[in-house]
Parts: sequence; C-alpha cells; structure tokens
Amino acid sequence: MSEQSLIHDFLKNLSKYLSRLDKPDAEEVIREIESHILDAIELQEQTGGISDAKSILDGFGEPREFANQYVEHLLKGTPPPKGFKAIQSVKKGATKTLYYSMGLLGFGVAAFLIIIGVGKLIMPSAIGVWSAAQGNSVVITFSEHVYPNSDELLGYWLSPIAIVIGVGIALLTRSVLRVLKASIQ
Amino acid sequence: MTKQENLNDKWDVQLRKGTLELVILAALKERTLYGLELLKLLHSFETMKITEGTLYPLMDRLKRDELVSALWRQEGDARPRKYYQLTQQGAKKLEALTNRWRQSVEDIETLIQNPSPQPINPKGE
Repeated sequence: MSEQSLIHDFLKNLSKYLSRLDKPDAEEVIREIESHILDAIELQEQTGGISDAKSILDGFGEPREFANQYVEHLLKGTPPPKGFKAIQSVKKGATKTLYYSMGLLGFGVAAFLIIIGVGKLIMPSAIGVWSAAQGNSVVITFSEHVYPNSDELLGYWLSPIAIVIGVGIALLTRSVLRVLKASIQ
Repeated sequence: MTKQENLNDKWDVQLRKGTLELVILAALKERTLYGLELLKLLHSFETMKITEGTLYPLMDRLKRDELVSALWRQEGDARPRKYYQLTQQGAKKLEALTNRWRQSVEDIETLIQNPSPQPINPKGE
C-alpha cells in the first residue's frame, strides 16, 4: 500500500470514529493530525531519511482508540447541566427512530406555533385562540369566520407569544437532538 | 533490553502518568508551539518521550479546560499549523503544580537522604 493510501485510510477511519463530535470539531482534529503527518514526513526527508508514513501513524495507535480519547468526555466527562439528567438515561437506549421522531415532533410543533404567530399578523381575523363552550375548551382556528359562541383570547398578543415559544421549542429540540445524535452514532 | 532499561521505562511511564499535564504546561511557558514542535521538544528529554497518540488528545482536553488556547497560523509557504499557548488560567495552574512538584521532590529527597536510623527532620517541622 502506498504512503498516500496509508495516510488516507488512517484519516478516513479516524474521521469515522470521531463522528460523535460536532462536525467542525471533528474536522479540526483531522486537519491538525493531517498537518502533523505531512510535517513529520517532510522532517524525515529533510533529515536525510526515507519517509516512513507507517512509523508516524504507529505513533497515533489504532484510529479507534485514538479517536476514543477525543470523544470519551462526551460519554462520561462533563456532567449534564441541571434539568438534563433525564437525557443521560434516555440516550443510553436512543435509536435512529427516536432521533427522527423527536426531530419531527419538536420541529413540527415549533413550525406550527411560528406559522400561527406570523399568520395572526397577516390574517388577524382568520387565526386566533378562542375560549369555547363557556370556557370549558380552548380552540385554535384557521378560518374565515369567528368561532361560534366563543371569546377570543390573547388577541394580537398571540403573535409574539406563539413565535417566541415556537423558536424556544426549536432551539430546545436542536439541543436534544445533538445529545441523541452523539449516542446513536 | 537490560533489566535496568526495563525498570527505567516502567518508572518513566508511571511518572509521566502523574506529571504529564505539568510537563505540557511547563513546555508551553512563554512559548507558542504547534503539535510537532512540542513533541520534538519533549523528545529531546530522556524521560518525556510521549507519542502522538498521547499528546493530541491531551492538548484537546487542556484546551477544553481552558488551560491552553489554540490558533491556526500560516507562516510563509508552510502549511497552516495549530499553535498552542498558555492561557492565564493555564499559567496559574502551572504555578500551582510547580509548587506541588517541588514540594514532592523535596520530600522524596529528604527521605532518600535520611535512611534509618537517622531521625527525619522535614523542613518547617
């Protein structure tokens, strides 16, 4: 196997095992290691020796073991922030189905709320939250007509409230998905 | 490998486990180095020959702990390299670990210099 192939394979494997890191972090590790390998080969050549990529790569050990040292803090290092302890338990059994379901649910609810918030500004009379059945139920409507026998709640306040909650849910969903992603890869 | 060399190797490995962080912080004191330079510097000392596989993840941890900072820099036509330097927090930790290290050396030296049955009079007691 040529030196180039050896290096390429090593970096490819390393990249695979670093996938638990955020993409920019993993790319930075690869960039630094690649820079080190190329510098070390140049140094071998400058000092009159024959370049030996294998001896340099041996210094890193197995890509999996090497990568594990970068990712182990994600699995057992920094304790989760307050309120996130439950996620530590959930992620042990996390699957791709859970990941995508969580994403669909979280971003779906967020999108729904943001659409309501924006829609209320565009079509104020068609979108609203109504207190119906003498206050026994709350109805959200997209309709040309006012919901019968009901009082509108919130009025124009619906718009900022729905948008803020929607954005909050989207950000929370993104954080939860990052944690889940780290455990399913 | 002779028995003495084997003993030396084992000793070096054990000692490095406890002192590597101090060694790296000390190596970066008033220096800005990239990984290969740092490794070469350590390899110039008999007892500090660590591997790439040990150095880089450790640098990543020190960076996460904000003891060192890292910056990509390109000099001339050379390829960009990631340079490390001590942060203020790193300099403080280096000072604390240095004091502790000196205390340990002094304590061990006191024990070595005072074999039984001579009484031991540790400094300050």
